[in-house]
Amino acid sequence: MAPVNNKSSRHIWFPVIHSPWSDIIKFLLVIAALVWLIYRGTESLGYNWQWHRVSKYILSVEGGKLIFGPLIQGLLVTLRICGWSLVFSFFFGLLTALLRMSDSLVGRSVARCYLELIRNTPLLVQLFFLYFVAAPILGIDRFTAGVLTLSLFEGAYASEIFRAGIVSIARGQWEAAHSLGLSTFHTYRHIVLPQAIRYILPPLTSQAVALIKDSALVSTIAIYDLTMQGQIIISETFLTFEIWFTVAAIYLVLTVVLSTMADIMAYRLKIAS
Amino acid sequence: MQGKKLGDYIIEVDRIHKTFPDGIQALYDFSTRIKRSEVVVVIGPSGAGKSTFLRCLNGLEDFDRGTITIDGIPLDDNKENRLEIRKEVGMVFQLFNLFPHMTVLENVNLAQMLVRKKNHNEATKVTMSLLEKVGIPEKAQSYPSQLSGGQQQRVAIARALAMVPKVMLFDEATSALDPEMIGEVLDVMKTLAREGMTMVVVTHEMGFAREVGDRVIFMDEGRTVEEGSVEQIFSNPQEERTKQFISQIL
Repeated sequence: MAPVNNKSSRHIWFPVIHSPWSDIIKFLLVIAALVWLIYRGTESLGYNWQWHRVSKYILSVEGGKLIFGPLIQGLLVTLRICGWSLVFSFFFGLLTALLRMSDSLVGRSVARCYLELIRNTPLLVQLFFLYFVAAPILGIDRFTAGVLTLSLFEGAYASEIFRAGIVSIARGQWEAAHSLGLSTFHTYRHIVLPQAIRYILPPLTSQAVALIKDSALVSTIAIYDLTMQGQIIISETFLTFEIWFTVAAIYLVLTVVLSTMADIMAYRLKIAS
Repeated sequence: MQGKKLGDYIIEVDRIHKTFPDGIQALYDFSTRIKRSEVVVVIGPSGAGKSTFLRCLNGLEDFDRGTITIDGIPLDDNKENRLEIRKEVGMVFQLFNLFPHMTVLENVNLAQMLVRKKNHNEATKVTMSLLEKVGIPEKAQSYPSQLSGGQQQRVAIARALAMVPKVMLFDEATSALDPEMIGEVLDVMKTLAREGMTMVVVTHEMGFAREVGDRVIFMDEGRTVEEGSVEQIFSNPQEERTKQFISQIL
């Protein structure tokens, strides 16, 4: 035990201030202050809170059956868009990373052009371009256009993450695989990627969270995702504050769940190695 | 089994040149021929081009001019040839380079299954007998990080041997080891030499060279300064540079 007579650092309040409870209390105080500020602000606006009207837009029970409200339906669309986009953006990302590190000049140039093009234009413009210009030419629907835009956009950023992870693998690993006669494919598949995934996973998770947030933009091409449904409800009911709070909370739950899953995966990978 | 007969060269290196991108000349008009079952020890100061020569032999390093032929296959731009040579030439590195995310068993099984297309049981059988040979069968389920340096290097040797290579290259295989672990690795290498493996060994272990070396090549500045039998180079060197170097390391 440390001596208690050190006046400056071991104050009588020390155990109270440094217990975990004090952190929780501080956190709750901050939240309470924020809520109070918002409440005061809306009160001066004369905003009429009607939280009780929100629930039926999420879930309702009709004739003993559970009915998904428009917000949940929107969430399902958002989930579908994000799910597909996640898969394709990882695919584009990995492919681009491998092309950039390949021996082929054409491969490297194509990858480079793709990266510069995507990273230096706004996502919204890309979305409009794909939906209004490319989609009629290619004959794809708005859902596909949305997924494709998000995949291409996030894929460009994911490729840098993949590349950094792959580069971080020591040269000796390549040389050992090489000297055993392993092909480049086998070396990536069995040696490099399984080791790189540990470096790749945390930033890739941030990228996936960014994807979920960016997916709200597809509401601009009239895809009925979570954001779009929120806008529709507001235009019908004027529950502006309640619905936006709810929509934001649903996005928050989604991203927190994703991050937690990634943390668990990272922890397992750490255990396994 | 091929014997040591004259003219039966498994490695032929003809006047290779190698300049690194930064302008440093690593190999200069370097030639040598190595017979089957011969154990060649390459010595020389650091920067002499010993490792570069070794790395050229299995295609880890490209060379600018000259030819290398291994067991009749030219090491040229032909991808098939390069792959074939990589399968037939095993290499052991200074820093072991085991795959840290795999167990010892998986490390040794991997190339057998992927390259030699063996199934898991066949590969495991070979692996266990090789681990027996290098003296650590009980470590099959361990991860490299759980092994000592000497044990890791013995696994690395077993991993290379699992490909049944025609030639084994050792690039300062004992330089990164604690002194008390050098012996166990050298013992494995000596066993291999006695079994008739063709070996090219970059090392400063003179005891090893004396015991199993058939020939010593002394390199400096990318060239062969002097080569000959172990006795000749260590006890009676002709060149001034060789004498100087030998006196420093003995």
